[in-house]
Amino acid sequence: MKGIVFNLLEEAVSNDFGEATWDKLLDEADLSGAYTSLGNYPDSEVVALVDAASKALNLPTQDVLRWFGQRAIPSMVARYPDFFSSHTETRSFLLTLNNVIHPEVHKLYPGADTPMFDFGASDDGGLIIGYSSSRKLCALAEGFMQGAAQHFHEQADITQSQCMHEGASKCVLHVRFHQ
Amino acid sequence: MKEPPSAYYMSDSINDAEAALADAEIARLNRRLRRESAARHEAEAIAEHGLRDLFQRQQEIGLLESIAAASNAADSVEDAMRHALAAVCKFADWPLGHLLLVNGDASATFDSTMIWHDESSGRYNALRSLTESIAFGRSIGLPGRVWESSAPAWVNASSLDANAHPRLPEAERAGLRSLFAFPVMIGTEVVAVLEFFSMKHQTPEVALLRLMGQIGMTLGRVVERRRTKDRLMHDALHDPLTQLGNRKLFLDRLQQAHVRAQRVPGYQFSVLFMDLDRFKAVNDGLGHQAGDQLIIATANRMINSLRQIDVMSRGEGDVGGDDFLARMGGDEFTILLDNISNERVPVRVAERLMSAMAEPFVLGEQQVTVTASIGIALSASGYTDVHNVLRDADTAMYYAKQKGRARWVMFDTAMQDSALRRLKLESELRLAQGRGELWLAYQPIVTPRDGLIRGFEALLRWDHPLYGAGGPAEFIPVAEEIGLIVDMGGWILRHACNQLRTWQQDSGQPLTMSVNLSAMQLSDDRLVALVAQILDETGILAGTLGLELTESAVMADPDHALGIFRQLRDLGVKLSLDDFGTGYSSLSQLRRLPIDTLKIDRSFVTQMDRHDDKRQIAEVVVMLAHTLGLDVVAEGAETAAEVALLQGMGADFVQGYYYYKPMKANAAGAAWREQGVLRQQK
Repeated sequence: MKGIVFNLLEEAVSNDFGEATWDKLLDEADLSGAYTSLGNYPDSEVVALVDAASKALNLPTQDVLRWFGQRAIPSMVARYPDFFSSHTETRSFLLTLNNVIHPEVHKLYPGADTPMFDFGASDDGGLIIGYSSSRKLCALAEGFMQGAAQHFHEQADITQSQCMHEGASKCVLHVRFHQ
Repeated sequence: MKEPPSAYYMSDSINDAEAALADAEIARLNRRLRRESAARHEAEAIAEHGLRDLFQRQQEIGLLESIAAASNAADSVEDAMRHALAAVCKFADWPLGHLLLVNGDASATFDSTMIWHDESSGRYNALRSLTESIAFGRSIGLPGRVWESSAPAWVNASSLDANAHPRLPEAERAGLRSLFAFPVMIGTEVVAVLEFFSMKHQTPEVALLRLMGQIGMTLGRVVERRRTKDRLMHDALHDPLTQLGNRKLFLDRLQQAHVRAQRVPGYQFSVLFMDLDRFKAVNDGLGHQAGDQLIIATANRMINSLRQIDVMSRGEGDVGGDDFLARMGGDEFTILLDNISNERVPVRVAERLMSAMAEPFVLGEQQVTVTASIGIALSASGYTDVHNVLRDADTAMYYAKQKGRARWVMFDTAMQDSALRRLKLESELRLAQGRGELWLAYQPIVTPRDGLIRGFEALLRWDHPLYGAGGPAEFIPVAEEIGLIVDMGGWILRHACNQLRTWQQDSGQPLTMSVNLSAMQLSDDRLVALVAQILDETGILAGTLGLELTESAVMADPDHALGIFRQLRDLGVKLSLDDFGTGYSSLSQLRRLPIDTLKIDRSFVTQMDRHDDKRQIAEVVVMLAHTLGLDVVAEGAETAAEVALLQGMGADFVQGYYYYKPMKANAAGAAWREQGVLRQQK
């Protein structure tokens, strides 16, 4: 996992629960916590941190991931404004994931293992988004979508029709946006 | 109430002070922490920026390298452009790229080529057809703007000047939003434009513009290389004075027509051979410059009248084709009339050419009237070699001259063996030596037991400027008859001996050289003195020079031959009897002649493994030779079977294609040197 993800998590935790909480999570997960955005760290460390947060907040890990994704977006906007500034709505932003955003991620972080998204339109005008990644972080992806919708001052209704955690080959999210 | 102990208050106040100190320390540490993390974020941002730049640069370098490599490897400009279109599309994520070539003429227009890189499956077809149909000029559309400014340019569908770009509406219909184009340059000249369509609005960054500029230069070098190559090719195939095709190009076209005539039933062509009458008088009288002017003016008149003939159609029912006019050299021109319906077509063309020449030429202040003689040959005569078509047209032209000039003559086969043709051959043969058209080929003579070269036979060749290399069978009899052979023979002897001396000196080996003598040389009183003189001049050992005479030359006057042979023998020269078995040798004469070698004629050697009679005759000749103490050389051995038989019957030397063909001097010398190591092992 790329260090940037740890940095975003630290910012989200510190902003919502205070810096001490982040230190506490690191202690509980028994991690040194020295993460730089350019570094590469074991996936197990992010899992341990999410588990610790799940215990501390008394929330299921999937909810922690959703919350994290949503709260990470403002930090991303601050760091990478160009990805967002060329869009006025969540839908067009999401559609650039495979072709613009992930290629850019690879420019910064060679070897980054980004998930694959596929997109389809649903009859009601929404998006059907397929997600597949060996990390099975569909809840994080959902959180990112919610966060992005908030950035564009929209509301996202998201339901999930299949999930890799339940044995599906990929996760499928149905997303509708409102003003 | 009891007073609380003062110590309590004291310790309390100490605690407060300590707490204040601790707070201050924490605040300081927090500030420090924030400083550290701000510094870390800044360092990360700088590193990320650097990484992104590095990535971008690597991509750019990769693109340039790939285009440069493909440009160097490309067989054609089009291939290089095709690759560049694909590579740029991939690099910039553009779905459609197109090549426009600047037309080389004065029209200031583009050739809107059919060369595209298109990643869609048909989505852009309408846009492509529209593009190909537009005649882009210097001011039309984005390509025109690029040409005008010699710089990259772009336009977005939303931009204010969008209506200056005729294709934008169609591009938008296909989902495209912007167009980018850059020039391919040679120095300051725009030679092509590459244009690309994007699905997004865009304003290219400086780095991209610089990159596309570099690609434009790289591709420009490809175009420049091709231009240089084209110019060299053109120069090699054209006459510099008139810019008409030269002999080589004419023979090329003639060969194509010849191939077509053999494949396509009913297809015919004709060759006209035109020579100016009394050109030499103009050249000598008015000077070379006037001569050159006359040639140029003649070429122009010929071009014009051929063009008129084409416009008017060459004759009723004639299908027409590509006529081709060339200058053979001097005042000789040839025309290939392609795809003619009948023999009246070349006649009509010849008459028109002659009337085009009738007007006086103005050369400087002089008026000159020149006529032309034209010979015509038709493919319908059934040629197997294009040189012969040319030769017959030339012969017919020669007839026209002989009949009083200023006329055309159609070749017919009666001319083939006629006195006139003979006259022509004679006059050309007389000039051949002076023009350096004669040369010697050398065929190795080999001992069959080890395949080693022991010597060479010198063979005369004539490179006729029009008809190509000819064998001696055709012209030696003529040379003999007109007495040219004595001079020619002297030249051959001297030339071959000089060559022999060079090879002997280079290798330190006593290899031999056989030179043919004609019957006429044999009867020339100066022969012995000439041989002695050449031996003296060259310093070669007399025993390494072999003189070959045909059986018939010797037997014509055996007593005279015997006398000469004895004198030659006294010089130490080896003598051999050529073509043995084809004449009527008297065995008693054979015994008297002081010869060293018998040559078995090729007619007994060819296919001797399949014809017992040939083999038996050869065996007898070998036995006979050995009985008389002579060496045997077998000529014309072409197969391993023949060589095996010859070796088996004891032939001392073998000569033939099985070992070596006759070769130019440098190739023969190389073959000799190649065996140097083998010789040393012996």
